[in-house]
Amino acid sequence: MPLYDVIGIKIDPYLNTSQTVSSASAFGLSDGQKTRLISAATIMLFGLAWWALSTYHWVATLFLPSPSDVWEQLLAIVTDGYANATLWDHVGASLVRILSAAAIAFSLAIPIGLSMGLSPWVKGLFDPPIEFYWPLPPLAYLPLMIIWLGIGEASKITLLTLAMFAPICLAAQAGVRGVSEERLHAARSLGANGWQLFWHVILSSALPEILTGTRIAIGVGWGTLVAAELIAATRGIGFMIMSASHFLATDVVFVGIGIIALLVFAFSYSWQKLEVFLVPWKGQE
Amino acid sequence: MLTIRDLTVTYPSRGQAPITALQNVSLDILKGEIVVALGASGCGKSTLLNTIAGFLPATSGRLELNTHEIKGPGAVRGVVFQKDTLLPWKSVIDNVAIGLVFAGQSRAAARAQAHSLLSLVGLDDFANVAPYELSGGMRQRVGIARALATNPDLLLMDEPFGALDSFTREQMQELLISVWHKTHKTIFLITHSIEEALSLGTRVIVMSPRPGRIVRRYPLDFVKRFSAGESWASIRTDQAFL
Ligand SMILES: Nc1ncnc2c1ncn2[C@@H]1O[C@H](COP(=O)(O)OP(=O)(O)O)[C@@H](O)[C@H]1O
Ligand SMILES: [Mg+2]
Repeated sequence: MPLYDVIGIKIDPYLNTSQTVSSASAFGLSDGQKTRLISAATIMLFGLAWWALSTYHWVATLFLPSPSDVWEQLLAIVTDGYANATLWDHVGASLVRILSAAAIAFSLAIPIGLSMGLSPWVKGLFDPPIEFYWPLPPLAYLPLMIIWLGIGEASKITLLTLAMFAPICLAAQAGVRGVSEERLHAARSLGANGWQLFWHVILSSALPEILTGTRIAIGVGWGTLVAAELIAATRGIGFMIMSASHFLATDVVFVGIGIIALLVFAFSYSWQKLEVFLVPWKGQE
Repeated sequence: MLTIRDLTVTYPSRGQAPITALQNVSLDILKGEIVVALGASGCGKSTLLNTIAGFLPATSGRLELNTHEIKGPGAVRGVVFQKDTLLPWKSVIDNVAIGLVFAGQSRAAARAQAHSLLSLVGLDDFANVAPYELSGGMRQRVGIARALATNPDLLLMDEPFGALDSFTREQMQELLISVWHKTHKTIFLITHSIEEALSLGTRVIVMSPRPGRIVRRYPLDFVKRFSAGESWASIRTDQAFL
């Protein structure tokens, strides 16, 4: 019986179509449209509440600057910069850190994760250190990074790399483990040797899982960025937020948060596009 | 050609007594035969096929193909599975060509050969399509073409049409017979449909469970009559078939 993968659950296609038809036809909208409509309403409600709370001074400006204050502060930072650096210097510094950490994490975690999935030897070797460090919050080992690597770029990038490494490594492992046995059998019976099996079957089978891992890792990376930029940085969006908070410049904090949100959104959006491009078969099998 | 003597296969099971899936099975398959294994589910048909394919080790007994002991999977035995195992990241033509690429052929040469196999199964126009864009029946045809590409001595098919609707299944059965007629392949096929067994087999073996063994063997001539030009309609109404 052909089964479709819907929200990760295997559902009988006939059962499924009859259900979606009945629930969505109530408003003449598809489920996706309905969700988007509700989301749009929520965003508008939040915006309105923000505007009302700040404009009528129900909440002090120190705690909640008005949307127009934040907008003017953004324009000011765009034209004049912040703390002796332009906005692009700050964004650029953060991006360079995130991207170089991502590059290092990808190039280490993918091969190590794949080998851990393939070989019990490699798994035995790397399991203890990874299992030990990855549940730790990066802020907990941040002091060690400073003591060992100083307060320059090295400690920041290492911190981000460590935070990104584990999710990718675990995803690559899971991807290899998840290769269907039938597919391996089929390739074997077509004469594949070990290397061909890896190259033609296992790697592509694991690719969706790896891409998901890298997406999660980049999310974790942004989350760790502010912590990393606490290390005596003079540039970076995280630095901008921290420094503004010392001067109680709440509007600058808002600008910084907004910029991070925008960057994270842009990243995860383009990553989803990349997934569709690289794994067009996802959900179609 | 294929010789199986006193084959016993047991699955180890944690904590409990091991499951004997096959006990003392002996079977000879001759060149050009279509041997169909028929039986309810759980009687060890897949276990037998997987052991012949080399996916499972024999617990005891002898298993030889052309006097060579079967030690593991290899391209001398082509396998068609019930669930299609095509690679979704490769086009139809590259899926069919993959066995030849594994054997060391260049991609171009492999593709050229794959093209002739695709026309054998009637899919010339779908070479550059992704497998997931095909219907279930078409995917099984690709699976058959792929298994034939390495020119195996023996074609193993585990309920290849079990997931298809009855109309498509009948088309596929006719396709298989025409492929068999053109290639003279030796085929070992599993089914739980009596009608399919009678339509396809030059010989049918009936298996029974706990422990799995062969209980009956019937030689048949319906397939040969069909290949010789007689229509299914007349064969299907034949007293012997019923
Ligand atoms: N991997 C396995 N581990 C343990 N027992 C198995 C396994 N595969 C099959 N069996 C058992 O072996 C018996 C035969 O199974 P199988 O060969 O799949 O039968 P069939 O293909 O005729 O339905 C069944 O009782 C089944 O429960
Ligand atoms: Mg079976």
